[in-house]
Amino acid sequence: MFDRLPLPSQFDRVIITGGIVVGLIGVPFGIAMVTLVVLGIITAPEMVFFVAALVILLGAVGCVLLPNIVHAALSLTATLIGVAAVYLLLLSEFLALVQVLVYGGGVVLLLLFGLMMTNAHEDPIVTDGSQKPIALLLGSLLIGTFIALLISAQWGDPVAQIVPFDVFGERLFREFTVPIIVVAVLLDVAITGALINVQAQEESPPEEVLE
Amino acid sequence: MIPIEYFLVLSAILFGIGLIGVLSRRSAILILMSVELMLAAVSINFIAFASYLDSDAFTGLIFALFVITVAAAEVGLALGIVLRLFKERRTANVDEASLMRW
Repeated sequence: MFDRLPLPSQFDRVIITGGIVVGLIGVPFGIAMVTLVVLGIITAPEMVFFVAALVILLGAVGCVLLPNIVHAALSLTATLIGVAAVYLLLLSEFLALVQVLVYGGGVVLLLLFGLMMTNAHEDPIVTDGSQKPIALLLGSLLIGTFIALLISAQWGDPVAQIVPFDVFGERLFREFTVPIIVVAVLLDVAITGALINVQAQEESPPEEVLE
Repeated sequence: MIPIEYFLVLSAILFGIGLIGVLSRRSAILILMSVELMLAAVSINFIAFASYLDSDAFTGLIFALFVITVAAAEVGLALGIVLRLFKERRTANVDEASLMRW
């Protein structure tokens, strides 16, 4: 069974190729960034932002385009950790920690378990009626519209400061009590639903035998 | 300080890539992963607006926190459904599962 799993082997060709590509893109990019900072053209936070943006976008493209599912999941992890770095740049430490814990840990692990239990090696190759051209067209249209609208709008300067952890928790549980309870009920219902969903089909074969 | 447009443009591109993934992928789990990308893009927007437009900087954080919670619940539930689909139909391809019952 294990040789059928889509796990990357030790000398996986795609991982080596991906590492070389990332190195070829990342090293000149990093050198250019450091040079720009030293020359005083961009500030240090901007450099961190550009590096995080590169990681996020490369990971997202890999997550969408890579044929092997485990490689796509690893790219998704890179993207989500880059998003955590962007949260840090936006002065919300708590959400950065939650992002790494919940997404980088829990969600990706859950997705990998799902991939292995459904034994889906590759994204099935579709020979007729592929949706990729339409998807690319719609996606680029959406991105273009958003960027055109964003650039033409006027935005102010940052006004916020860091919310410390203790203030965050206090205000969360004092001012948002009802939403917290609603979310707790939602999580409860989701867990119960998932359990019932998986148990239902385990109980069904004995019933057929009894009939 | 970084202009807010940088964050908004990054989030728009991330959302578009997620949309491309949702439309072009065939495996149910890969569609879920692309939805995660789109949710991350929306969270970046929430936190950027909280940090740049709201001197309190709190409501946007709460929204992002709830987005993360709902995404976790969604992944758990959807994986349960995909597992059951796979056990009954031996496939996780959404094209082959377009009919719920026959």
